[in-house]
Amino acid sequence: MALTADLTAGTAEAEAPARSGLLRYLGRKAAWYLGALLVAVLLNFLLPRLIPGNPVDAIVAGLGRGGVEGSQLHAIHAHYVHEFGLDKPLWQQFLVHLGHLVHGDLGTSFAQSPASVSGLIAQALPWSIALQLPAILIGWLVGNGLGAVAAYRGGWFDRGAFLGSLFTSSMPYYCLAILLLYLLAVAVPVLPPTGGYSFGNSPELSADFVLDALTHYWLPFLSLVLVFVGGQAVGMRSMAVYELGSDYVNYGRGLGLRDRTIVRYIFRNAMLPQVTGLALSIGTLVGGALITEIVFSYPGVGTLLFTAISQNDYPVVAGLTLLIAVAVLVANFCVEIAYGIIDPRIRAASRGER
Amino acid sequence: MSTEGPATDLAPADAAAGQLLTARGLRAAYGPTVAVDDVALTVGTGEVLGIAGESGCGKSTLAAVLSLTARPPLTVLGGDLTVDGQHLDLAGRPPRTWRGGVVSLLPQGAMNALSATARVGDMAVDVVRAHRGRVPRSVALDLLADRLDALDLPRRVIGAYPHQLSGGMRQRVVTVLSTLLDPRLLIADEPTSALDVSTQRALVELLRELVGRGLVGGIVFVTHDLPVLRAVADRIAVMYAGRIVETGPTAALVDDPRHPYTAALLSSVLVPEPQVRRRRIGGIRGAPPDLADPPAGCRFRPRCSLATDACTDDPPAVGDPDRYATCWWTRDHPDERLEPSL
Repeated sequence: MALTADLTAGTAEAEAPARSGLLRYLGRKAAWYLGALLVAVLLNFLLPRLIPGNPVDAIVAGLGRGGVEGSQLHAIHAHYVHEFGLDKPLWQQFLVHLGHLVHGDLGTSFAQSPASVSGLIAQALPWSIALQLPAILIGWLVGNGLGAVAAYRGGWFDRGAFLGSLFTSSMPYYCLAILLLYLLAVAVPVLPPTGGYSFGNSPELSADFVLDALTHYWLPFLSLVLVFVGGQAVGMRSMAVYELGSDYVNYGRGLGLRDRTIVRYIFRNAMLPQVTGLALSIGTLVGGALITEIVFSYPGVGTLLFTAISQNDYPVVAGLTLLIAVAVLVANFCVEIAYGIIDPRIRAASRGER
Repeated sequence: MSTEGPATDLAPADAAAGQLLTARGLRAAYGPTVAVDDVALTVGTGEVLGIAGESGCGKSTLAAVLSLTARPPLTVLGGDLTVDGQHLDLAGRPPRTWRGGVVSLLPQGAMNALSATARVGDMAVDVVRAHRGRVPRSVALDLLADRLDALDLPRRVIGAYPHQLSGGMRQRVVTVLSTLLDPRLLIADEPTSALDVSTQRALVELLRELVGRGLVGGIVFVTHDLPVLRAVADRIAVMYAGRIVETGPTAALVDDPRHPYTAALLSSVLVPEPQVRRRRIGGIRGAPPDLADPPAGCRFRPRCSLATDACTDDPPAVGDPDRYATCWWTRDHPDERLEPSL
């Protein structure tokens, strides 16, 4: 933040404690998040194991239907129980699980065996990130700009922007997705309706493939960005309208401040809740835009998660939930840091100054 | 309209000579509700003019008009200001540089007057740059530091955020920011209303000092708090229902009110001083009139115990421009004291 970094001259001596205060603030937050992560890992480990039955039963039952003898089944069962480490006490299993996690080993997929879970995620994640990160960033910038300008300008521009934003933001994702699909791929077939790339093409770094992927990119991208712009614009507009009526705006006018100076003040104060929205969206991004990806059969994390759930592919589901948990925690941590920088009151409150 | 004419006619055309502020014909309205109706004021150089009145009488609206900060739903219908020889017609859009440079606002409740995410020093830099172009940051901060030194306020507030200051300190810091560019006229709108008595006193002394050093030419001090006004104001103008009903030097007005409303207002205040100790607290019956449809003639008539049939006509201004009351009773009883127990 330029304003905070741009420290005032008369207070050089007061800045040293403020600096160490910020470090302490960050340290304490980091400790909290580490604790939360441990709890998340523990739950992620425990919850599937608390459900009656285990994956070995499922596998063996499948074999049993295939006509394998009872004694063989017992041997296979024992083998898998040992293989998966299920014969050890729970706490030892947890330590082994932690050990695997530290090495980035999320296990093997049941349904797509012998593909490793991390391999499957690594395949799908780039698609989800490439789809959503630009959608979220562009949507955030455009939405907040639109909302603030609408609040400041007022009149017909405000009414039009507000109504439009309200419309797109209150529309369910799949509605808009299907609507766009119909309009741009069926009624006026300018864009391909499904997939991340054309059938018969395979992911590689060539101009052909990138161009192909880009044409498939537009529909899911548009359906995400429109909703996001709407939501951000509605939020920003109401915050900015509220700030416009506040005392400091009136006082700023009374002191003859320029309009853009006052708008800068308004922005900084109205931005706070919007930053939360941004970081949380980025955090949940790794979970994939589930419905959008399904509607457009986009090869991202959302589709992966959907198929894994429908196939009872526990390792993949567990790997993805862990990934989502970590991402949400990291995003929340970033929000806290951003808050501490943007809003001095939060920094002060965490130091116990208030 | 009576033949005597309203108070505004008493302000002579050449009154601007020797006066810091001459305001004439100020009218401002919220939609159909005319909250400030044909108000005229003068403030002398080095003078503090107090504006007194109960809630809803148009004091804060008058402050918004004078400080050029009126904004919808409040609209200024007309009037003109002459401040230190510079003339401004309020019917047009007031120039931005007048605000803060010529007339400045000291707002009610400094609590929220500063943006929570800006340091005091940043605000000062923005104020200076708004009027003097792109001056270096250090120049603006030096100006603020010098002003703080001169007024015995701590320099540490420069790097502070508003929440790090106490209520009294915040109000004083806002006062310093409001007067940073030596405005000719300071419009103080209830600056003491959120403060306890000792910080009120510190603020009053600060304002007095600013006037004494000539850092501001004069102050219009709006408040409902009569004891504060007695301590700070050289002259007082009493407002009722959007009009000024009486004005005069503080001592004269408090000792010998010439308008029944002033007398009633004074009798509603607890004053622990010998000459007023035996007074009964009277209060004022009724409520101020609806300004969307004010009563004809004297607007205090429905609540006034001295009202007669004559009061349905606009009352005359009795006295001279520096000491007058707009009242029929006062005209007919020039030597009779008003009983304060209304």
